[in-house]
Amino acid sequence: MSLPDRIDPHPARHIYRWDLDKTYLQTDFDSLRQLLKTALQKASQKTAVPGAATLIRELGASGDSRLCIISGSPVQMRNVLEEKLKLDGVEWDELVLKDNVRNLLRGRFRALRGQVGYKLPVLLESRVHAPVDAEEVLFGDDAEADAFIYSLYADLIAGRVEEPVLTKVIAAAEVYPDDAARILEAWKAVARADPVRRIFIMLDRLTPPAYFSRYGPRVVPVFNYFQAALVLLGDGLLTPAQVVRVAREMVQTAGYNLITLSNSFQDLLRRGLPLQAVAAPLIQALEGALQGPDKVLAALRPVPDIVNAFTRRVAALGTTPPLPPAKEVDYLQLLDDARPRGARARDKAGKGARKSG
Amino acid sequence: MAERAITIAFDVMGGDHGPLEVVRGAALLSLESPHLHALLVGDAEAIDQALAETRHNGERISVQHAPAYVAMHEKPSAALADKPEASVLVAARLVAEGEADALVSAGNTGAGVLAAARTFRLLPGVRRAALASVYPTRTGHGEKKDPFSLILDVGATVEATAQDLVAFAVMGAAYARIISRNPNPSVALLSNGTEAMKGPPRVVEANQILAGHPGLRFVGNVEGVDIPKGTADVVVTDGFVGNVCLKMLEGIGETVVELANYAYASRLSWRLGLAMLSSGLKQLKDLTDWEQYGGAPVLGFDRLFIKAHGRSRARAIANAGKVAAKAVSSELARAIQEGL
Repeated sequence: MSLPDRIDPHPARHIYRWDLDKTYLQTDFDSLRQLLKTALQKASQKTAVPGAATLIRELGASGDSRLCIISGSPVQMRNVLEEKLKLDGVEWDELVLKDNVRNLLRGRFRALRGQVGYKLPVLLESRVHAPVDAEEVLFGDDAEADAFIYSLYADLIAGRVEEPVLTKVIAAAEVYPDDAARILEAWKAVARADPVRRIFIMLDRLTPPAYFSRYGPRVVPVFNYFQAALVLLGDGLLTPAQVVRVAREMVQTAGYNLITLSNSFQDLLRRGLPLQAVAAPLIQALEGALQGPDKVLAALRPVPDIVNAFTRRVAALGTTPPLPPAKEVDYLQLLDDARPRGARARDKAGKGARKSG
Repeated sequence: MAERAITIAFDVMGGDHGPLEVVRGAALLSLESPHLHALLVGDAEAIDQALAETRHNGERISVQHAPAYVAMHEKPSAALADKPEASVLVAARLVAEGEADALVSAGNTGAGVLAAARTFRLLPGVRRAALASVYPTRTGHGEKKDPFSLILDVGATVEATAQDLVAFAVMGAAYARIISRNPNPSVALLSNGTEAMKGPPRVVEANQILAGHPGLRFVGNVEGVDIPKGTADVVVTDGFVGNVCLKMLEGIGETVVELANYAYASRLSWRLGLAMLSSGLKQLKDLTDWEQYGGAPVLGFDRLFIKAHGRSRARAIANAGKVAAKAVSSELARAIQEGL
């Protein structure tokens, strides 16, 4: 038996994987003009989604986690993006960007917008080097195929997806052969485990949350990062004080208030997330924060109003619905989600035209 | 400066289209108006089902479960007595307690007015509340030159005294000032002749008081024929007459449409004529589209209740919410009180 070359004294117990655009950064690139504006922005002009930077910092505070960022932004933006992350006090372990110039030069036009062929091999290759027992929480958005790719990634390493299914997905997503080979190779090298605990989807496009129920309860669509923090509090990955710090940033930078925060809390309850138990410690943490000189939180309202807002939102529901049961994701039924949004839209338009014709 | 956050309580149940359209309307509001919050009151399960399938902003919506509701056919007083947890009553209570700033309901009108009467307080100087309604007219009114006038009362107070009619005039004028952006609306009394002495004693007395009222531009009496002409921006009458007038206006509108349909089906030449007029008719329809105006306000309480049409679809519900929010942010109740 041979020993590994290097023994990491602090192996990661948790891995947090983040997308950048529309997940961490507030980015508009739906038109060419917006795309150009985004490309030319300086680091100081870029804005993070409210609460995202604090959430990342708090998740990393335990010191036993890794932050892996995978973004569709071009590699030419690395300096700006790194500077932005540094400005926000975010420390990362991996930052993977897309080499679209190379794709362009090689005539790989499908790869310019393709998500599966880009993200899936990167995720799997990163996992190959991760400790087997390291749990993962993934953050994406509803603009592209994040829910599909993250779920597929989770089920691949858990051994819940068979090779023929993966092959069909790769074909449907129009992945180039070399990327397909990378996917298969990395998948086979990954130690089988079931480490993905949550997949958060930031609802940048305000897609109805029920759309994601097809991916099971592991995927949690969120309207903001206070909601993600609440779920992570319920999962034991954050403390109430850390959730309060996320809320604080949202109050300070984006004008969140007691109504929006308590509504966000109730929204999760109504979707069946068992978070009733986190209300009391959260209120306690808020009360604790208000004892200090924190003017941002003090601006929320007096403590009794905070207590009232949260407890009332719970009581208002009478009984809360149960969390939908976990079920196997049928990726072959969801193949359309794996394709670039533009291609989906074109297909729909084509079908519509054929119908009307 | 950021606009003040306003919460509108929506009675989700009881409309002709069930909870779905009201939920969709509130969802629309959550996407379009960042400073508005919707408090949806009704069957929580039905609301959640509708909401989950609808594009919305969950930060601006909350739900209050109410296990019962008043159906359209039910007698309001009996229904509210039998169902103290009816959605409209729960919603009104939440508004009275300050959890929300105004109430919107597309359900049973009588139950809505009764729920408001039981939970809200009448403004000092107001003895009876009034249900006001906008209706299409020939002339434009206010800053926006909108083709609508306001008529009140259309059913909340069947028998009104002269003092009630005066209060209705003040309330209607305040509403026209704020919602229609008409800084100096003309106010008229509905009677059977334009002369000041025409009409029953209460109308004659109200005419005398209004003629000397310093805060109103009272233009005297108008007749039924003046209602569709839009002679006045605000027409004041009691709930019995107002309701008859409103139903008649609706009936005429429906009859015109039926006649047009009949003509369309009867002769090719008429069909061609209607086709040629179609763009103009469409414009006319858009101008007089009641869905743009959301609903009828119940005036006279310290809190606002907007009664949306029972047939309201999502757009009309969202607009009712916007009208309610505008009335709240413009402090309609205070404006009425000052007028009185």
